[in-house]
Amino acid sequence: MRNVRTDDPEADTALMTAFVGRDERAAGVLYDRFASRIYGLGIVMLGNDQTAQDLVQDTFVKLWRTAARFDPERGRLETWVLLTARSLAIDNLRRRVLESRSLQELGPPPVHDPAPGPDDLAATADLSSRARKAMSTLSPEQRSALELAYFGGRTTAEVAALEGIPQGTAKTRIHAALLKLRVEMAKEADHDV
Amino acid sequence: MTCEEVRDLLPEHLLRSLDDTTEARVRGHLRGCAECRAERVRLEDGVATLSHATHEQEPPGELRQHVLDVLSEEWEEPRGSPAPTVAPAVRGSAWRWLAAAAAVVLVAVSLSWGVSQSRRATRLQADAGSYQALLDTLGGKEFRLGALQPADGQAVKGTVVLYDGEPGKDWNSWGIVMANAPDYSGEARVRLLASNGDSLEMPSLRFTNGEASTWLVTHQDLTPYDRLVITAPDGSTLAAAAIVEA
Repeated sequence: MRNVRTDDPEADTALMTAFVGRDERAAGVLYDRFASRIYGLGIVMLGNDQTAQDLVQDTFVKLWRTAARFDPERGRLETWVLLTARSLAIDNLRRRVLESRSLQELGPPPVHDPAPGPDDLAATADLSSRARKAMSTLSPEQRSALELAYFGGRTTAEVAALEGIPQGTAKTRIHAALLKLRVEMAKEADHDV
Repeated sequence: MTCEEVRDLLPEHLLRSLDDTTEARVRGHLRGCAECRAERVRLEDGVATLSHATHEQEPPGELRQHVLDVLSEEWEEPRGSPAPTVAPAVRGSAWRWLAAAAAVVLVAVSLSWGVSQSRRATRLQADAGSYQALLDTLGGKEFRLGALQPADGQAVKGTVVLYDGEPGKDWNSWGIVMANAPDYSGEARVRLLASNGDSLEMPSLRFTNGEASTWLVTHQDLTPYDRLVITAPDGSTLAAAAIVEA
């Protein structure tokens, strides 16, 4: 199976060390690598272009303030960054709830026209395309459980309650969904060789 | 914990939804089990795929420079300046924020300058138990304590309490300093120091009738700070403390 990992723990550690050292190039590398997924997460979860941009800014400031905590032994940089952004997005949603603002009032996410040139985005678009194909292989039950846990920040107990299934089943669905995504992504990569 | 138990919990570990106790046990197992670490890597690949599939969208081009400018501003702040979130902006669960404040102050006061020279084992065990109970209730990473040791010719004593919020959560960290200096009056500068040379300024102590206290609430990570120093306006050291886990 072809390795679908796109990062290198040693390179990530060096990158974060440079970032901690206030290296603007390191900050730029981090931005180029993760900003599109953080911004996209903001669009999906918060439904607003400006809030999504704020999420990108807040995430990078938080990454800087907590950069010294990054430990590759505890997980990959990519996961750390994504879940930091997700945590901030969930916090934002919770504040909205606290402010008694109904999420339904937000309306559908605005359509954003990505302006940059296709050459720069070709690799990213290809990766996204393959990832979407991988997602399409999940069963509706797996996808629902995974999205509740990932976007909703729900525990498996909460996923189980919302789906009306035993907690063990919720765990199994999330676990199996993540492994299946990996396998399907690798298959897609092999097809491209 | 067995490998089977840990693998059952890995998705929640990865998505940060385990309680602190279980999370610590999972991490402990992972440190010593290459096979479970490999399983975690496989699941991380799944998270990466999910992110590419469901939320990858190019941000406006101008955002890049804006974010880099914001980081530059962050970097230009002088070391030792107060964290920008020192003002207690209530975010997330306000009641827990206030509960944390009350609990920390109560426990800190109950120590009554207690982490002193006469450290008896039973007292320390009781203190540690109190802090652990608070952690269990409030969440957060840990409580750390320091006993102020007077500089030569000074008579400043007291206690430092740090509460480290939970990384990755919307959780404030805290610092409280209570000092007793019968022969001193006026203001004194208070700084937290880290081994990498960073420092963080806390609000000054203002001694009245030989006593003073100050506190800091921040979203900033306090875990690197393991020392505290109190200095007079002329720069002379009044007292210092090494800060260790409660």
